[in-house]
Amino acid sequence: MESTRKKLITLLAEQQEQYVSGQKLSEELNISRAAIWKHMKGLEKDGYKIDAISRVGYRIVAFPDQMSLNTIQWGLNTSWLGQRMYYEPQLDSTQSLAHKLALEGAEHGTVVIADEQLKGRGRLHRKWDSQKGKGIWMSIILRPPLEPQRAPQLTLASAVAIIDMLASQVNVKGQIKWPNDIFIQNKKVAGILTEMQAEQDLIQYVIIGIGLNVNQTAEEIPEDLQEIATSLQIETEQTWVREGLIQNLLKEIESVYEEYVQNGFGSIKKRWELAAYKMGDWIKVKAMRKEWDAKLIGIQNDGALIVEDTDKARKVLYSAEIDWNKGGVDL
Amino acid sequence: MKVQEIRELIKLIDESSIDEFKYESNGTKVKLKKRTVEAAAPVKEQVVVSEPVIQPQRMETSTAQTNDKPQVEQAAPVAEVKEQAPNYDQEVTSPMVGTFYRAPSPDSDPYVQVGDKVKNDSVVCIVEAMKLFNEIEAEVNGEIVEVLVEDGELVEYGQPLFRVKSK
Repeated sequence: MESTRKKLITLLAEQQEQYVSGQKLSEELNISRAAIWKHMKGLEKDGYKIDAISRVGYRIVAFPDQMSLNTIQWGLNTSWLGQRMYYEPQLDSTQSLAHKLALEGAEHGTVVIADEQLKGRGRLHRKWDSQKGKGIWMSIILRPPLEPQRAPQLTLASAVAIIDMLASQVNVKGQIKWPNDIFIQNKKVAGILTEMQAEQDLIQYVIIGIGLNVNQTAEEIPEDLQEIATSLQIETEQTWVREGLIQNLLKEIESVYEEYVQNGFGSIKKRWELAAYKMGDWIKVKAMRKEWDAKLIGIQNDGALIVEDTDKARKVLYSAEIDWNKGGVDL
Repeated sequence: MKVQEIRELIKLIDESSIDEFKYESNGTKVKLKKRTVEAAAPVKEQVVVSEPVIQPQRMETSTAQTNDKPQVEQAAPVAEVKEQAPNYDQEVTSPMVGTFYRAPSPDSDPYVQVGDKVKNDSVVCIVEAMKLFNEIEAEVNGEIVEVLVEDGELVEYGQPLFRVKSK
């Protein structure tokens, strides 16, 4: 059903200036003309404007500005990521639905997208503001053949994919704040929340949640976040069609994932470090109830953060709270 | 015997209660012995404190964590153990280096307390590394008899987190 509709849009979109006859569509798709009529009604519901002239045929006059499964999947040229996709206008959280689907056996590469999240969340159940139509709220189910301790590297690999998408599609330079946030000019534009179900030495599934602020204006960013959050609209002063960004992002994630599973994190690491936020700068590290100044040196092959303390001793961090603005000011 | 098989063997024995293992076949001899303090009997639990067979690179990198561990914390649980001498036969260990959390968020209740019954798939804690929150399942049916790690503490790969009396 869905793939027929996707083919239908493709056929019509190829001939945007001309009408395509019902006869031709019926032959190409191998369905009755009555069925075509039904699909056209469905497309109109999705927001497509279709001009139908009897005995001439159909033509797409306008593409929807409202997101739907069709508008996201039409033009998606990944080989497996997002080929199975769930789109909902409204969800509590894409992450929660993805967990449910994964537990029910959803296949590797399944993607969940919502236009609006009522209970969008970050780590430790912190709220993630996910207004209707303003951003990309998406969760990806992966079943990587890896040991659980390697899973955090998927967060870093996904961050690299977001950076590449922002560079190629939006022409902005994003930076990665270790390990899971994307910044533009000192403000957060996207976050990655990776969650996992694993046994001692086997990953059952990983869910990569991505929240990317796209079309919020400065006023639409909640007041308490205005100092620290931004959107692509604010940075570029134009609105963006989310479908195009999603399609490219999924393509980038698919490619970085394949590279990672085949060759490990090594080559991705260099790309990550090139985009790293505050590399070489001083920050403040909080770990084990102690606070100390540290200089950001880079990341290890396993993704752990390498820092140097004031005595030039190197330390490796897997887990720490970092105060990015207050390190070693007077040194 | 292949290196892979020996590694597998070490892992299995490490997880078992076997202290010593000998294997002989066609001139191949394998002898494995665990470094335990079984002999020092009453505080059997000290076995756990001894270094588990873990990946060496993880050890180096964790200096910050081990150094920072306050002495008091080390001593406390042992004293407790002597009084209660909890009866356990299983341990839940950490599958990765990271921070141990007993609750899903700072203002929620812990997943489990001492005395709670757990099933194979009961979530008992979270270990976080690089902001990845890994819900750890008990992987055993039984009762939690001891929590070995404090909330927010850094844990090593393979480090025991809970002691469980299985059913």
